[in-house]
Amino acid sequence: MNYTELQVTSNFSFLRGASHPEELVEQAVALGYKEIAITDHNTLAGIVRAHAAAKKHGIRIIVGCRLDLLDGLSLLAYPTNGKAYSQICNLLTTGNLRAEKGECHLYRSDLYQYGKDSKFVVLPPTELNELFEFDPSFITALKEYRDAFGNDLSIAATRRYQGDDSKYLYQLSQLSSQLNIPLVATNEVHYHEPARRQLQDIVTCVREKCTIYNAGFRLHPNAERYLKPQEEMLRLFSHYPEAIMRTQEIVEACQFSLNELKYEYPEEITTDGRTPQEELTFLAWQGAKERYGNDLPAKTITAIKHELKFIEQMNYAAYFLTVYDIVRFARKQKILCQGRGSAANSTVCYCLGITSVDPTKFDLLFERFISTARNEPPDIDVDFEHERREEVIQYIYQKYGRDRAAIVATVTQQHQKGAVRDVGKAMGLSVDTINRLSASIWEFTDEWFEGKRLTEQGLNPGDQHLRKVLQLTREFMGFPRQLGQHTGGFVITRGKLCDLVPVMNARMEDRTCIEWNKDDIDALGFMKIDVLALGMLTCIRKAFDIAKENYDLDLTLANIPQDDPAVYEMISHADTIGVFQIESRAQQSMLPRLKPNCFYDLVIEVAIVRPGPIQGDMVHPYLRRRNNEEPVEYPSKELEEILKRTLGVPLFQEQAMKIAIVAAGFTPAEADGLRRSMATFKAKGLVTQFQEKLIRGMMQNGYTQEYAQRVFKQLEGFGSYGFPESHAASFALLVYVSAWIKCYYPDVFACALLNSMPMGFYQPAQIVIDARKHGVEVMQVDINHSDWDNRLQEKSEKYCRLRLGFRQVKGLRQEDMELLMVKREKSYSSMNQLRDAGISEATLEKLADADAFRSIGFDRRQALWEVSTKDRPVVLFSGQSAADAKGENVSLPTMTTSEHVVHDYAVTSLSLKAHPVSFIREKLDQLQIVSTRQLSSLKNGDSVKVAGLVLVRQRPGTAGGVCFMTIEDETGFANVVIFESLFEKFRKEILQSRLIMVEGKLQIEGEVIHVIVKRCYNFSSLLRTLTPKNNENLPVLTLASPDDPNNYQEFPPALNKRSQVRETAPEKIFPEARNFK
Amino acid sequence: MQKRFISIWFRYLKTDWWIRRQAVLHDKPFVLALPDHGRMVITAANSLAEKQGIDPGMVVADARALIPSLEVLDDQPETSGRLLNALAEWCIRYTPAVAIDPPDGLLLDATGCAHLWGGEKSYITEIHKRFKHFGYDVGIALADTIGAAWALARFGQNDSIIESGQQNSALLSLPPAALRIEASTIERLEKLGLRQISQLISMPRSALRRRFGVQILERLDQALGYEEEGINPVQPIEPYQERLPCLEPIVTATGIEIALQRLLDALCHRLQQEQKGLRTALFKGYRMDGKIEKMEIGTNRPSCNLNHLFKLFETKIETIEPASGIELFTLEASKVEDLPTVQEQLWGNKMDLDNVELSELLDRIAGKIGAHNIHRYIPAEHYWPERSFKEASSLNETIQATWKVDRPRPLQLLSTPERIEVTAPIPDYPPMLFRYRGKLHKIMKADGPERIEAEWWLQDGQHRDYYSVEDEDGHRYWLFRSGHYDAAKSYQWFIHGFFA
Repeated sequence: MNYTELQVTSNFSFLRGASHPEELVEQAVALGYKEIAITDHNTLAGIVRAHAAAKKHGIRIIVGCRLDLLDGLSLLAYPTNGKAYSQICNLLTTGNLRAEKGECHLYRSDLYQYGKDSKFVVLPPTELNELFEFDPSFITALKEYRDAFGNDLSIAATRRYQGDDSKYLYQLSQLSSQLNIPLVATNEVHYHEPARRQLQDIVTCVREKCTIYNAGFRLHPNAERYLKPQEEMLRLFSHYPEAIMRTQEIVEACQFSLNELKYEYPEEITTDGRTPQEELTFLAWQGAKERYGNDLPAKTITAIKHELKFIEQMNYAAYFLTVYDIVRFARKQKILCQGRGSAANSTVCYCLGITSVDPTKFDLLFERFISTARNEPPDIDVDFEHERREEVIQYIYQKYGRDRAAIVATVTQQHQKGAVRDVGKAMGLSVDTINRLSASIWEFTDEWFEGKRLTEQGLNPGDQHLRKVLQLTREFMGFPRQLGQHTGGFVITRGKLCDLVPVMNARMEDRTCIEWNKDDIDALGFMKIDVLALGMLTCIRKAFDIAKENYDLDLTLANIPQDDPAVYEMISHADTIGVFQIESRAQQSMLPRLKPNCFYDLVIEVAIVRPGPIQGDMVHPYLRRRNNEEPVEYPSKELEEILKRTLGVPLFQEQAMKIAIVAAGFTPAEADGLRRSMATFKAKGLVTQFQEKLIRGMMQNGYTQEYAQRVFKQLEGFGSYGFPESHAASFALLVYVSAWIKCYYPDVFACALLNSMPMGFYQPAQIVIDARKHGVEVMQVDINHSDWDNRLQEKSEKYCRLRLGFRQVKGLRQEDMELLMVKREKSYSSMNQLRDAGISEATLEKLADADAFRSIGFDRRQALWEVSTKDRPVVLFSGQSAADAKGENVSLPTMTTSEHVVHDYAVTSLSLKAHPVSFIREKLDQLQIVSTRQLSSLKNGDSVKVAGLVLVRQRPGTAGGVCFMTIEDETGFANVVIFESLFEKFRKEILQSRLIMVEGKLQIEGEVIHVIVKRCYNFSSLLRTLTPKNNENLPVLTLASPDDPNNYQEFPPALNKRSQVRETAPEKIFPEARNFK
Repeated sequence: MQKRFISIWFRYLKTDWWIRRQAVLHDKPFVLALPDHGRMVITAANSLAEKQGIDPGMVVADARALIPSLEVLDDQPETSGRLLNALAEWCIRYTPAVAIDPPDGLLLDATGCAHLWGGEKSYITEIHKRFKHFGYDVGIALADTIGAAWALARFGQNDSIIESGQQNSALLSLPPAALRIEASTIERLEKLGLRQISQLISMPRSALRRRFGVQILERLDQALGYEEEGINPVQPIEPYQERLPCLEPIVTATGIEIALQRLLDALCHRLQQEQKGLRTALFKGYRMDGKIEKMEIGTNRPSCNLNHLFKLFETKIETIEPASGIELFTLEASKVEDLPTVQEQLWGNKMDLDNVELSELLDRIAGKIGAHNIHRYIPAEHYWPERSFKEASSLNETIQATWKVDRPRPLQLLSTPERIEVTAPIPDYPPMLFRYRGKLHKIMKADGPERIEAEWWLQDGQHRDYYSVEDEDGHRYWLFRSGHYDAAKSYQWFIHGFFA
């Protein structure tokens, strides 16, 4: 007699099950089960994984789920065929869409509606009442189910080891024969082996938000909820063999497998009655003509023919058409978009306008996009403007309907920090201990159990309790915790999507997603389209619009003149503030060394300043070879083919993978597996096997161990942050376009950039400074001249004037400013006109703070004085100034320019009047502190002192604790490097200064200048001198006691302490530096 | 007489208090913090932390980035109020009228007090010295008006004394923030470049009123003395203590009894009026020879029941040695609680711990045999039988858990299970025979097993399979086997309780 476990809760019933579906399947295999069911609570999220694991081990998954109803007994449901499965999916979808994300509200009526052709097992109460009987309400409910489901219904019988099991089972069997509902044996499995009970207790604590010490009866009393051997189950039910037999009846009946799911593309995107393949062929050739003109290059013709044949063979035409349709919609709406990633390898994608890089130009190979070898569906990622991507998403929902399109889920996994935190909390550790544990965890390795790390943290490694915490943490890591939504991966189907998979609400409004993540849908051969957001596209589109309005230019991504030497000249001088991808400090210091002079150089530039090449130590060899300081040579003939275009140095992901294939004898699938395992190596740790295999393989083929190590290290970096060549090429195009606009229309560029903020590395102040440096006249915010957005005005000299918009002023609301603009028929000439227009006092005060009243003759202080009056003339006198105002004759202290600058910064984070550092230049001169501009006239190795506002602090993970800092004074920027040991020493100065002074050695390499810091000083207090003191004739208050020899106080208690008013010290007005990892 | 006021400002009120409690904090930067929107926000920083750039309002994580070793303590928001009250009461030694000035100051009406300390200078020096001795960093100023004293304590030099009528010139150069006005007004004045009170004074009053309302003018007038302002002094708390001096020394038990009766009478009367009841009381007799005789009682519930309290003391009177006689009796209620208002009940007196008679009975028993000999057991949420109950920490501890009754538990549970010999079919069927203390029991009926797993976070060990069994005499027992049946290993059977 065989037994099959039919009630299995995996960890996809979040915080209930304590084993992965894979573990359960493997245990079932080990125990000789031929089938096993997975029944998670109101979800099918875990079944694809179980299915994949079962397939691998040659057993069968009974697809099922446990239905918890709001108004009735819980049931297990098993669809017997595809139709029934669709019904269950629809049922769950109904429940999901009714409730908020993460919940599923089901009622009995739903069950009766969708319950055809499924087998049901009702779960009886776990206890008998005082009379040792089942509650009458249960019996009533049971009868109702029996009437609805007839022979498809069974009752679950479980031995719980509660003491009265015999009585319980007897009562149950009595009931069963009375009502003619067969019993079916289950063991209500929650974990695959008894030892997991501890973790199950912990997840219960996490769920119930309690500790293991006060969880009490919320835990299971014993560890019987594991997957038991069949013989044991047979023994436990030896009195009720029919219950065991019934499991087999259900198994027989439920032959449905996920393999039967047929994913089909939508087809309505063809015209003129063509088949999808015909339509695609038609569009591809039509597109090719648009791209290349009537004379198609032979290479292109071959490529298109080749690709079309392949697409036909794999039946992917409809998929391409779907993407084409979405892109066409975006074009029509004037939403900029561009395909990224491996799709750029496809000429057809290029012809359809999905991607913008001609693959034949770069020898990009279609096989890298899709290949029969990998047998994976293609994956096209398309970037859209980030501000308008929602329109595209809603178009997809609207076009295909919510029942046919949804976003893919992402399974949020329990990461190490979260796992330590949850387990620590459940185990009753103090918050302090948990913090210490989690703060010091970088990677969870066995090192933790050796005790060294623990001792470092002042914890006792011999402590049993702590070891238990760590052991459970290790088990808990990688558990799914919730289903989120993928950044933009869409699944679209021909039929109803909820016939294939349950759909649920996403946290964001108007979004729905499915319960499976991208690995799951890959495993089932579903296709997804990635609708991603890219800020730079927004900026470029805005730039195009502005250029159209002010220069009457019709720019598109495709018609920007290519290969313009002036643009490359600008890029080579690292004049790239605001330019896509190459504006960062690291990129800027690379540009003058690399001196890009063609498009492919930009592709390399984008890919080279990435963790992959940096960790793999590939950057310097490449630079040396490029500058002819080192001969270009190849480790072997076979690698020359792969590495030719990058001068023998692997820079792209594909190259690294190809090396693994060619040099270490990996199969393409293995190489891909290697890359994938890298991406998740932090959670799993399989990588060492691959490492050995790779290095051994390469050394066997005659490569040095050092070279092999380097390739491996690079692969490691690529895993999480890799750039494939095709992807870099797509990005490089945007780099070129944005650089072109900046080069020829710095006014348009700055305006578009400011209107797309927040974006990129720099603050508005730097963008404005940069624009002025390029000869753009920038005008300040004004009530009579500004709009909400920044805009260009009439031309002055070469470029248009850039008028700052109200959006630059902190705290102004767009609605208020729209009102102001609507009522601004003529110009405003008095404060009261603005009041009459309905502008609130708070808003007026903000405008006054922004010094926006200059056009009616007020500076900010006078404006504020005017705004402050509480009484204002009404009716007859409205529009005039108040009666006694003239009699006031009050004179306010005039503001100095420096004071204005401080206030400008406070309100708009930038000032057009002057740079703050210019006011203290005299003092800096006295201290022999040079300006940043002077640095370039000094020699390599000179000792210098330089001071400036801190703009950016960066401590990249690849730089081994080195901190990079960009500082700015009135003459320009300086890049500052602080090594790790000094970082600790000057931590406070580095983190706290708004104005910093550094002392160090100059390092000049061509155009690249760095200051290698020796000492740092916080000069922020100098900024205080920009505003007059509150009480200048009062002696300085010293609170230090007389016996304190150091009577100087760096931080006298802030004013706010005394008056209990929280007030910002003047230097804090300057924007805090942005920190980047 | 010209009014004189002192304002005392505690620069680091809360952190100084913490240093007083934990001397180790003196030399390290530390802050107090409270959770706010899921982050820990600093509410107070000591002077060392402040010198390194840490201000209240900062997020702890940011501060830690600056000073990794920064100590962070949980702030208790109500402390500063309590603390100020205590400091105010302490200050009553300097003047009867002391008011608190939240959040971190005190106001003293010093009119006519200074001469007792030899003049105003030594008066405030004395105050300053005493606070400094306690460890408080204070700013003190003395002036005709509260406003001026407040301003100078915070914005002036240490220990400023403003001569009578001179507040005007003393205030001129101070910032408007010294006027105790709203934050938004201060901010706006600052923006307008009005950074000294002198600028405000010289301005037409109507111009100020139109823009900043009347508050600023009122505060200005108060500080300059054009408008009266008074303080709201704190009332010190009277201790619950009664005294009975005797004309003749008392030597007899009867005398002591009478004294006790009178003291209790007075104390209970006062307690009753204030709706309070005592939990502990201390009776003292001061003997002629300088020794003090004591007796102490405690109750389970707050009580002002004269008879009951007297009975509690009565049993102890014999322990008092009057010797040459007692000349003064005192009775002090050291612990007093609010008396719960009791609803008169028509029927039934629930026999639980809220029952007054029961609790008074317990008081009397405790008085005789000692409170530590009375135990109460309450349920604990554990499956493991030995841990399924616990001793209550106090008699009126409220029960969090409920007694679990869905599984059979024996009336009498052995504190340690005892080994028995058993004959039982394998692997987990109920036993057929067992031998306990030499007697063989034949099992007629049995139920089980109930499997209870060891609580792995508390102890290692095997699970237990419990069986309820009945022998041929109808006696019922609770037996268990420790661990799984395993032919290779020895496993053990125990008896753990008796049902009847």
